Amino acid sequence: MTGGYILTNNPLVTERLGPDVPVEYLQCSYKSLLEAARDRIHLGARLLSHPLSGSVKPGETPYKSVILTKGKGDVDEQSLELIENAILACAKFQQRCDRYPPSVDLDCRLIDWTLLEGALASVIL
Amino acid sequence: MKLEIGNIFIKDIQFAAEAKVADGVLYVDKAALEKVVLEDETIKSVSFDIAKPGESVRITPVKDVIEPRVKVEGPGGIFPGIIAKVDTVGSGKTHVLKGMAVVTAGKIVGFQEGVIDMSGPGAKYTPFSETLNLVMVCEPVEGLKQHDYEKAVRLAGFRVAVALGELGRDVTPDETKVYETCGMKEGIEKYPNLPRVAYVQMLQSQGLLHDTYVYGVDAKKTLSTILWPTETMDGAIVSGNCVSACDKNPTYVHENNPVVEDLFAQHGKTLNFVCQIITNENVYLADKQRSSDWTAKMCRLLDLDGVIVSQEGFGNPDTDLIMNCKKIEAQGVKTVIITDEYAGRDGKSQSLADADPAADAVVTGGNANEVIVLPKMDKVIGTLDYVNKIAGASAETLQPDGSLVVELQVITGATNETGFIKLSAR
Repeated sequence: MTGGYILTNNPLVTERLGPDVPVEYLQCSYKSLLEAARDRIHLGARLLSHPLSGSVKPGETPYKSVILTKGKGDVDEQSLELIENAILACAKFQQRCDRYPPSVDLDCRLIDWTLLEGALASVIL
Repeated sequence: MKLEIGNIFIKDIQFAAEAKVADGVLYVDKAALEKVVLEDETIKSVSFDIAKPGESVRITPVKDVIEPRVKVEGPGGIFPGIIAKVDTVGSGKTHVLKGMAVVTAGKIVGFQEGVIDMSGPGAKYTPFSETLNLVMVCEPVEGLKQHDYEKAVRLAGFRVAVALGELGRDVTPDETKVYETCGMKEGIEKYPNLPRVAYVQMLQSQGLLHDTYVYGVDAKKTLSTILWPTETMDGAIVSGNCVSACDKNPTYVHENNPVVEDLFAQHGKTLNFVCQIITNENVYLADKQRSSDWTAKMCRLLDLDGVIVSQEGFGNPDTDLIMNCKKIEAQGVKTVIITDEYAGRDGKSQSLADADPAADAVVTGGNANEVIVLPKMDKVIGTLDYVNKIAGASAETLQPDGSLVVELQVITGATNETGFIKLSAR
């Protein structure tokens, strides 16, 4: 797979990945990150990783990383369905990660990173 | 493949100077077990405690629950590829310390969870309120990274379980059960009129605190494959996951998988239990496609009539579940899927993150968002320091009177998707 990139709001992802791996960092909420991914899917990008990776639910972690293709063109229906369902799922969980102390915030970054790392083992961007 | 399980009923656990099993009592030599744990230099200290059913005790954060077993006849040993050599297990004879469990606890990340209440309303939601629990809390050396800490606690739990299981080697079991399935041709000849049924078990495989290991291999690096169903009874599959504890399979559940148990109970009567197929739940979408394609392909190759599919976890695995269901059904093989629900605190939201008309036979383990009040317990093993951060908890979780207001998510095994739970609608 070539031509993909990581869309993330997790600072640890940019820190851990070398300059050879394409990463776009957005300073935004978990839900906004999913919405940004959805906007790109509407422009023709495809999801390469699942947007609801991990058992740390929306609202329980502020961080999310997804892998997308850079492609533009027709909308990929499967990607759109996955991202829309993920955005819907955000409403089911209580928002509380904004009250975490710094040490727990770092743990959230780490878990998001390990989930991404698991996916990256299957792909060369 | 034939395995005899010899259950030694444990009615009490006591700390003692000499470790042994006698008259249904497990005597635990704390100092000896401490040595077993501290073999790993990354563990600074360990404390042991005993929690019994009915006591006013809360254990949290729980990492894993393990049943001690020992292989007394036949190839291999318990937890192959991890503690024992990698020989294929699942035949011969295995002794089990039945009625007790080793519970590992310890804070690996700040939002970790896993609550076992030994009494009160929470006890009804976890099967591990009914076991005599030897709880071990491991403290890491300073500066140990979370990955290394997780691994150290995971392996220490298995070492302790194996050391305890060994005490049952020469004890005469109180009960013996025999589990046997046939090869393909033999099964067709022996049960020509019975439907050929397999169990498709989906394994959590995503990352730190979200992993499962098969014969020592990280499941995210495996392709879908076939097991004799008895292999899991000897610890072929172990847990490395505990986040959102309600629907994760502790190692104890793999050792005592109720789907396997129930299919064996019907084997040769209403169905022919052909095999267990294991498949993973990776984050990368191409992995999901490959794994579900392979699972469906095997169902066809094995000429199955039906499968039971169990999920592990929420969200991302919903996609694997539906992919498996759709593709297996498309091969002409009927499916029943077992899942749980995240339907919101009011139960009105969409339960799964994915769905399909092919999924027309669904069993649920319950709504993990349901709120429960857990009254204060006299004793906490582990720590409540992090309880406000655990999944299904909130800033208001810890009440002034010491009670917890939480979602079922936090309770170990509350909505287990193999059906290893005590509450049902029946």
